[in-house]
This record gives sequence, structure tokens and C-alpha cells, in this order.
Amino acid sequence: MRKITFVLIALLLFSGFVFASGSSEAAAPSDPNTVKVGLLCIGDENDQGYTYNFIRGRDEATEMLAADGITVEWVTKYNIGEDATCTDANIEAAEEGCQIIINNSYGFEPFMLEVVDEYPEIEFISCTNCASAFDGRDNTHNAFANIYEGRYIAGVVAGLKLQQMIDNGEIAPEEAVIGYVGAYSFAEVISGFTSYFLGARSVCPSVTMKVSFVGSWSDATAESDAALALADAGCVMISQHSDNTTPATAAQSRGVFHTGYNNDMTGIAPAASLISTRIDWAIYFYEAIKAYVNGEEIPQDWCKGMADGAVVMTPLNEAIAAPGTAEKVAEVEAAIADGSIQVFDTSTFTVGGETLTHAFALDTDGDFTADSEEAVFDGAFHESLFQSAPYFTVQIDGIEWLNAAY
Amino acid sequence: MSGTENRTPLIRLAKRSEMPPRTIWAIRVASIIVALILGCIPMILTGNSPIEAYGVILKGSVSRPIYLKQTIKIAIPLLGCALAIAPCFKMRFWNIGAEGQITMGAVAATYFALFWVGKVPHVALLAIMFLAGAVAGGIWGLIPAYFKARWNTNETLFTLMMNYIAIGIVAWLQGGPWEGRKGSQLIPMFNDAARLPQVFGVHCGWIIVLVLVVIMHIYMTRTKQGYEIAVIGDSVNTARYAGMNVGWIIMRTMFISGAICGIVGFIIVSGANFTLYKGVANGVGFTSITVAWLSQLNSFAMIVISMILAILEKGANTLQTRMQVPASIADIITGILLFCMLSCEFFINYSLIFRHKVKEEAKA
Repeated sequence: MRKITFVLIALLLFSGFVFASGSSEAAAPSDPNTVKVGLLCIGDENDQGYTYNFIRGRDEATEMLAADGITVEWVTKYNIGEDATCTDANIEAAEEGCQIIINNSYGFEPFMLEVVDEYPEIEFISCTNCASAFDGRDNTHNAFANIYEGRYIAGVVAGLKLQQMIDNGEIAPEEAVIGYVGAYSFAEVISGFTSYFLGARSVCPSVTMKVSFVGSWSDATAESDAALALADAGCVMISQHSDNTTPATAAQSRGVFHTGYNNDMTGIAPAASLISTRIDWAIYFYEAIKAYVNGEEIPQDWCKGMADGAVVMTPLNEAIAAPGTAEKVAEVEAAIADGSIQVFDTSTFTVGGETLTHAFALDTDGDFTADSEEAVFDGAFHESLFQSAPYFTVQIDGIEWLNAAY
Repeated sequence: MSGTENRTPLIRLAKRSEMPPRTIWAIRVASIIVALILGCIPMILTGNSPIEAYGVILKGSVSRPIYLKQTIKIAIPLLGCALAIAPCFKMRFWNIGAEGQITMGAVAATYFALFWVGKVPHVALLAIMFLAGAVAGGIWGLIPAYFKARWNTNETLFTLMMNYIAIGIVAWLQGGPWEGRKGSQLIPMFNDAARLPQVFGVHCGWIIVLVLVVIMHIYMTRTKQGYEIAVIGDSVNTARYAGMNVGWIIMRTMFISGAICGIVGFIIVSGANFTLYKGVANGVGFTSITVAWLSQLNSFAMIVISMILAILEKGANTLQTRMQVPASIADIITGILLFCMLSCEFFINYSLIFRHKVKEEAKA
């Protein structure tokens, strides 16, 4: 017992010393044109996908802000789980003196919200989630972009390729099958693959799609396995809503084509990957941080699309894309920007053989079922209009869900 | 003469006779110093100053009240779980299923947190969750104990496999019946009524585990049941000869062990995480084995050891934030420290005897 008492006293003395020495390096910057921003990431740059895209946005925004005389000190934390470690990471970033803390994954938000009331002077941002608009707090924010616009165009690129293969007699019209690797059967994913499919079908009428859910946002092996299985099941075009590049390499190894997400994947799979779409987070980071420095409000629920540069296409792989793709992409891009193409035009798809006439957008009572704000009007489903996070959850005809368990 | 020499191995192990406590503690302190020096190597290799890094680890874990609170939050389940597995290890029953027992305790507590909230008052709800966690964890521990007592199955493999079953059950609940927003894989956060209140800024789980420390100490050193556990640990045959029902004692002890793990599970979901997910135990069931071993199964020493490990874990986190050291470097340093501390216990108990040394001794 005496030994333990001794150790305890020693520890106490030691911690007293540490307390006395204090810590000055963790304070918030005093210069009004310098802002300290925390970025909490689910992965790291090595995914070459989701988190890489955020890091890229971070670096571009830093340069854009530097041109305006604003210095950003970033505190970036990687490989945080969608669990209580996220709560701890938010506390950590707050204590390090961050004035804005950005959470980059959907599942971070509930854990972030555990912390926000302790730090009313810090602005908390949850990307891709949706609680901020209704939680009555001023210091919480959401942000997302109309990625469905980019996916629609990626679908157009894929559809043109499939139609070219049909016209050349390489495949029969009914063999134009897309395989889609999805993370979960979750609104953001459903919205994504549906817009992609509609884009493809707008130029290749016989196309159908199979969706395989892997049950993880980021699992390189499972994503690869799902893509290989889809290719083996007869899919000649692979696309993905998951964080890694393995579906691209899997497509290349099976000799089928691919369109990507988050990052240009033509470098890693030059014989398969046609194009990718990604959110340019620099646009949002720039606006939010600039607003903060100018003493203005960061928008509660930010959402912009291709017209504002928030959604961009990566360079087209001209070597393998169908002829005329670039022109068609430019035409569709312009049509989406001026509103003459509605991605979820209800005349272009059916649900159980019927035209979609009704779907709610928002869940206001917290039972996780949408119950208010009619999203279908003027002949289209209006995605990301009532909140930035996607809410299209309808299963349309022509898309087969292989495993809805996730 | 030469024949016998060749048959002697180059290095032999011999159990040491009792060492004076002063020497034992000198060896322990020396091992920590060696560990700290070895820990400099990965820091230097990644281009960081070791002294600065150690400073950050300490500052990041104890230098501010909020950091200290976070550190204590990490220590609570470690301590609770080390207390739980101590009686099993005393009995030489290798329960490495604490991870699963914590998880099942958390599942049971979560059930009541999700579906009984509003039906019973705050304190009653917490009491129900506490009991549910204890019973569920206890039953999860009882299953391998029953098989061990009845058919002498290998408890190490059995308890380990039970972990994966428990984690699988949570994964299913997360994506299935208890899922919140469709497809999100997240169980909703607990209502305030299902959360442990805070005392001095940390959830009151710390009071529960400190009470458990005292109870466990008394149980192991002052009760008949604690004595039975010690006898079985020393020799099962002696226990049998003395008329003890060994199977019954194994099952009873494992139920207690699992129940405490289950309580830890309840404390984690209700005090720290406020929701359930498959990583709820987060390796605590394994790390606490180290805590129990390093503290020689002494309940009070576990307080110190769990705090040291918590300081390392919290400090490593700050290290990653401030110096952009990869998280894995911090894990390597923790690993080196644990390795040195555990191996020093080995050298306290055993000595190495080299062949030539024996020869010289023989000559003399």
C-alpha cells in the first residue's frame, strides 16, 4: 500500500508541475485576419477519394483566402470514427483554439452535437448532414453540394459509351447493364445512383442497373469485391458511391468501363475510367471562412451546384470515351445550369409502373420518416431544395437492388 | 564432463527467489526509463523532438481541467474492466472475452435506454439499465464458463469467439431494428433521462468503478469465495481435495466477472457515448488485461496503471493534433512502453542463466 501511495503522490506532484508550466501554443490567434480552423476527417489523403477531396478543397481555399489577405491555420485530424472518438476530436479541436470546426462525414454529426453547446463561440460545420436548419442553434451549420448534377453528367458519359458499344455490335441492347457500388441504402446514395442512371438512360434507352451495397463508406477490399462481382454478373460499366479507387482498378482488371467519384481515377485505371465527378469543397470553405472573418453569419444550410462551381467534372478520358462526349457534356452542363434539364424529371422515370406524384422531403418530428414539404411539383422531384442533404429515397423502375440489407 | 556440458542449453530460465522490494521497484522504474528512451527512436525517425513530444503527451492529457476530464473518461472503463478480469486471472481462467461482455452489457442497457425512456423515472431507468447490463454481461461470461466446467473446453478460444458474436449482434442492430435514419447505420442518441449525471465534470461512472475497487479488494482478500478463487489458481487438485466444487466456482466467478464487464458497458453507453455502435468496447477488454497484469491483480494499483495508460492514450491524441504525428507512431510508443513494463515483470520473476556462467560457478 505504501508503494502505491508513493506513486500517487509522485503523479500528483508531476501533474502539478505540468499544470504550472501551462500551455500557450493552443490559443486562438489574436490577429483578426488569421483564423484557426479544425478539419476532422473520416479517412486520410491516401484514400485518393473522399477525404483526399476535402484536403484538396482545404488547400485550394487556403490559397483563395490568402489572396484576400486572410491566413488560415488548419488543425487537421485524420481517421476519426463515426463514434464517440468524434466527440473527443471535436473537444480536442475546440481546446486547441479552433474558431471553426468542420466535420467531414455524415455520421459525425450526432457526436458533434454533443459538444456544440459547450462552445457557443465556436462555429461547428457538419458536411453532408442535416440537423442544423432545425436545431435552433446559431453555431451549427450544414453544407453539401448538388452532386446529383455531376452524377447525371457522369451517367451521360457512361450512357454514350454504352450506346457506342451497342451501335458497334459489341453488346446487345439488353446487355447494357451498369453495376453500381454503393455504401449504404441511404438517401445520399440512392439519390446519387438514381441521377446517374437517369443520365445514362437519357442517351442509352435500353440501359438497366444493378446496385450492390457494401455496408461501409470506406472499405477498399469490399468495394473491389463488389465491383468484381458486378462485372462477373454481366455489368459492362461500373460506377461507385464509396470512398476508394478500388472499383476503378477492379473494372480495369475485368475489361469493363468505369466512372468515378471524388477524384480523377483515369490515372489509376486509364483503360477503364471515363470521368469522375466531385464536390469542390474549396468553394464552400472559402465562403464560410470569409464570412466568419468578416463577422457575417455562416449560412445555416449551404448548398450550391455546378452553376457555382461547387460540383465539377474531372477531365474526360478522351482516349476511350465515345466520340462527341465532350460536346454533349458541355450541352447538358449548360442545360442543367439554366434549368432546362431537371435531373429528376418525373416524365423520365416510373415507380412501380406509375409516375411519381408525391414524396416528402423533410423529417420534422424526428422519427426518421419524411413528413413535410412536398418535393414533387412542376413535373420534377426537387432534390436538395429544402435542405442541403439529399432526400430522394424512391426506388425507381430499371434499377435492381442486389442487397438492401445495408 | 563435456557430455553434460553440451546438454546444458545456452540460456536457461530459473525462477528467482524473493527479491527485496526496493530492487523490484528499481527494476520497474528502470524499465520505464528504458521504454521512454526507446520511444524516442520513432519520434526521431519521423523528425520530431522527443522531449517536445513527451511534453505534448503530458500537457495534452493533464494540463487543463478539460484534458484531465477526458483522460479520466478513458481510464474509467479500463479500470472497471481490469477489476472484472482480475478474479478470472487469479483463478488462471483466461477470460479474454471482456470485450464481448462489455458489448452485451451495453446492448442490454441500450435496449432500456431506447424503449423504456419516458416510462420510468430517471433514476429508476438508470438502475434498470445498470442491472440489465450486469445480467447480460454476466450471462455472456457464464456461457464459456459452463462449457469449461462441464466439458473442459478451452476458455481462451471460447471467450475470444464470443467477442465476435457480440460485436456481430451490435452490427446487426445498428443496420437493422435499432437504426435511426434509414441507411445511416446509426442508433439514435440517448434521451437525457438515460444518461449518467456528471459529478465534478465527469460522468459518475468514476464513482461506480471506485466503489467496485473497494468491493473487489475486500472480495478477493477477505472472503471465503475470494480464497477459493486463489486456491483454484494455485492448484485445481488441492481445491478438489479440499472439497471445493471447482466447476461451480468457475461459473460463479465468470458470472461476476462478466457482470462487472456488463456494468462497464452500461457506463460507456450511458456516460460517455450516449449511443451504441459495434466498436463500443473499443479494445478496452484487451487493454485492461495489461492493466490487470501490470498491477499484479491488485485493485488499488489498477487505479494508477489505468490512469497511466489513459494519459498515454489521450496524450497520443494531442500529439497527433499538434505535431501532426501519425496516430500509428503514438501507438508504437504505447506499445514499446507496455512491452518494457511487462517484460520487466518477467525478469523480476525469472533470471537468465548462461551456460558459461554455470561452468564458472561449478569451477568455483
